[in-house]
Amino acid sequence: MSAAEETIKDIIVKIVHCDREILTSESTFQDMKADSLDMVQVLVALEDEFGIEIPDEEAQKFKNFGDFVSFVEARVAEKK
Amino acid sequence: MLKGKVALVTGSSRGIGRAIALRLAQEGADVVVNYFRRREAAEQTARDIEKLGVTAKVIRANVGDQEKLNEMFDTIASSFGRLDIFVSNAASGLPRSALDLDARVWEWTMDINARAFLLGAQRAAGLMEGRGGKIVAITSLGSKLVWPGYTAIGVSKATLEALVRYLAVELAPRDICVNAVSASFVPTEAGLAYAVGGGEEGEDASWRTTPAGRIVSPEDIAGVVAFLCSSDAFMIRGQVVTIDGGFSLASLSPKGKGGEN
Repeated sequence: MSAAEETIKDIIVKIVHCDREILTSESTFQDMKADSLDMVQVLVALEDEFGIEIPDEEAQKFKNFGDFVSFVEARVAEKK
Repeated sequence: MLKGKVALVTGSSRGIGRAIALRLAQEGADVVVNYFRRREAAEQTARDIEKLGVTAKVIRANVGDQEKLNEMFDTIASSFGRLDIFVSNAASGLPRSALDLDARVWEWTMDINARAFLLGAQRAAGLMEGRGGKIVAITSLGSKLVWPGYTAIGVSKATLEALVRYLAVELAPRDICVNAVSASFVPTEAGLAYAVGGGEEGEDASWRTTPAGRIVSPEDIAGVVAFLCSSDAFMIRGQVVTIDGGFSLASLSPKGKGGEN
């Protein structure tokens, strides 16, 4: 498990108020019981934390927690 | 016309805000481009502004966050030492009917669309002290008309328009002119995402019922904002100028059941 993944979990748990244990690669937003405002706030927090941009049209393609992690890790790698 | 003036346009990375920022730059103003999510677009707007021979400065801030809003005005104060024009354009919202609107979505929308204008105008007035200035809020016909899912935004825009009237009177002795520009549907990225009926259908519906024969463009709004920022508009105070090609005069009436329920 990467450091980025742990940070993303911290952010989601803080904003969505879901149990950390339910966050696996396959967890969907329904599993997290996250609504559209939760998602906007998670995206903003991730952008702040990692200094990246997550366009809404990209975020709309995310199906589960794993997609979040992959996207963030790819963008962070591009920055380096 | 606005040479030597410093303007802040919130939410000016794209859409209506970008058109306003570019128009004020064309008129000679230096422009602060504020954005929240679209850094690349904001930087493009700034480059396009600088091509016009004026200064552009990009500042990221969620205007709904008071601390970030204050930091933005602090940066403007330290960079320019003044502000002549404040255009409150940034807006957000999520589609919710009135019965599904929870407190979180209400606060998110009101903080960005209405409270940011109040707090921003307070800071802007401080930076306009002794010289006067222009404050323009961008609102929409949703403050009066009812559109599906537009509840929180519509209410926030009504709040914004009332604030414009109060601020116009309170700031008049300081030679600060406060007005609002209201528009019907504008086919920007954000507008299309929210369109009545959704996407191109909404664009089509607005066009069909607009007497002027086309829908409103970001540039239509930018032109009126530039006018309100000119000395010719000095005696216009606390007004909501509607730009809709006559849409609000000719809207189709909703159908009821004639009291048979």
